[in-house]
Amino acid sequence: MALSLEYVAKETGNNLRRNVLMTTGAILCVAVSLTIVGIALVLKQGVSRATIQWRNGVDMNIFMQPTAPPQQTAAISTQLQGEIGTDIKRFTYCDQACAYAEFKVMFANTPDFTTSVTQQDLPPSFRVVPEHPELVEQIGDRFDNQAGVQDVEYAKQAIQGLLTVTHYAQVSFLTLAAILLVLAILLIVNTIRMAIFSRRREVAVMKLVGATNWFIRIPFMAEGMVQGVAGAGIAFVFVYILRNVVFDLVSKNTIFNNLIASTHDVIGTGIAILFVGAVVGGGGSLAAVSRFLDV
Amino acid sequence: MIRLENVTKSYKNSTVALRECSVDIAKGEFVFLVGPSGSGKSTFLRLLTKEESPEGGRIWVAGKDINELSPWKVPFLRRNIGCVFQDFKLLPNKTVYENVGFALEVIGVSRSVVRNQVPQMLDLVGLGKKMDNLPHELSGGEQQRVCIARAFVNRPLILLADEPTGNLDPSTSEGIMRLLHRINRTGTTVVMATHDRGIVDRMRQRVIELDRGTVVRDQDRGVYGYG
Repeated sequence: MALSLEYVAKETGNNLRRNVLMTTGAILCVAVSLTIVGIALVLKQGVSRATIQWRNGVDMNIFMQPTAPPQQTAAISTQLQGEIGTDIKRFTYCDQACAYAEFKVMFANTPDFTTSVTQQDLPPSFRVVPEHPELVEQIGDRFDNQAGVQDVEYAKQAIQGLLTVTHYAQVSFLTLAAILLVLAILLIVNTIRMAIFSRRREVAVMKLVGATNWFIRIPFMAEGMVQGVAGAGIAFVFVYILRNVVFDLVSKNTIFNNLIASTHDVIGTGIAILFVGAVVGGGGSLAAVSRFLDV
Repeated sequence: MIRLENVTKSYKNSTVALRECSVDIAKGEFVFLVGPSGSGKSTFLRLLTKEESPEGGRIWVAGKDINELSPWKVPFLRRNIGCVFQDFKLLPNKTVYENVGFALEVIGVSRSVVRNQVPQMLDLVGLGKKMDNLPHELSGGEQQRVCIARAFVNRPLILLADEPTGNLDPSTSEGIMRLLHRINRTGTTVVMATHDRGIVDRMRQRVIELDRGTVVRDQDRGVYGYG
């Protein structure tokens, strides 16, 4: 027994047309909430890029001179090794190749920058995770003036402020988005419920003549999915445009420039948004069908 | 074809619709189900399509025990049973052709077969020229013919009719009964619940009389009241 795509498409189209107002409302609600989710995700991605040197709990970065001879680097490494278990939890070494890879990630938005800088220009670094973060400066002081060390940087100075602000921004966005998503699901449930009600005669005849349960359910679920994905599609476009607008606004300022996620990130986020939209639409309509459709 | 064995069915407000009812209907029979309002006629028919389930007893349709039928198989049972109602139950926004075609579409019949079968069926019931009309443009008798066309288009084994002539005048009813009789002659088992004394008396088919849920009479070539 074939449930043809043509039948589903035709029925879904008819259903959506009959109930334009509520459908539009549901789609817009999904769009708004997923736009906010998208912004939060894109913000997170931008920050991740910018803070790539500080991931995994690294509190202190010992930057070596790009021209430092290997013995000096080895000496620092040995010294750090000796402090493991007492002052240092663990550390990793990021050589020039690694530094260059990170550099490309950080400055993905300004590719001309990356072409003018070579691997040899970049300082390798020791990424240190201390046992007691409050005492990290004391550890750093020991390395500051050693041979071959260019600079010692602390997470607190470099990125703490940024992380705090973006953390609060993300939490607020995601809370707001969660509330709106719940609202969106409720709207979709209600829209499908109304669709079921307005088609009750057809449903009754379908049951009478022996249509299978899924044959009756699927057009309603398709309707819900279309609403979810349409809303997500709108959100995707908004987030994409917003990202480009913001990028253009801050493009003069190199620091902020690289907080903004790349186009690649945004497309990845967009796909995630479309997926969430489909789940919201499908889930909402499944709930409505299970509760209000008598099959 | 249809067999009920000690079937009991009551509703939530403790009304007993059927009480230890046992009936055996063979393939190709034409059976009138008579009795006053509330005697259990409609319940009887609803039990056959599994719209309701009995509290006690067993029911066989086309050789299958329908109590044992899993929910996903019920639609396939219903494809073997055509139903005709007093209130027609046509879709008001679809034409005659679409109403009958709908019954075929929703069970997955291809467009080309639908285009073939529906006009044939409508010719059979005498509505060949009214395919593009909407239900409200038809008379009561014509609407009922559309229902019969829809019920029979799939060539089911059984045709159930619940007061099909209830809303129709005597001469129109006559026409409907002739149609049902023709359908029965093709081998379809017909069970018709009715109040219409005249029809029952004229057709002299098997009569099963229900009273307050029990079978009080089961007579071949019977009449409405006691002969």
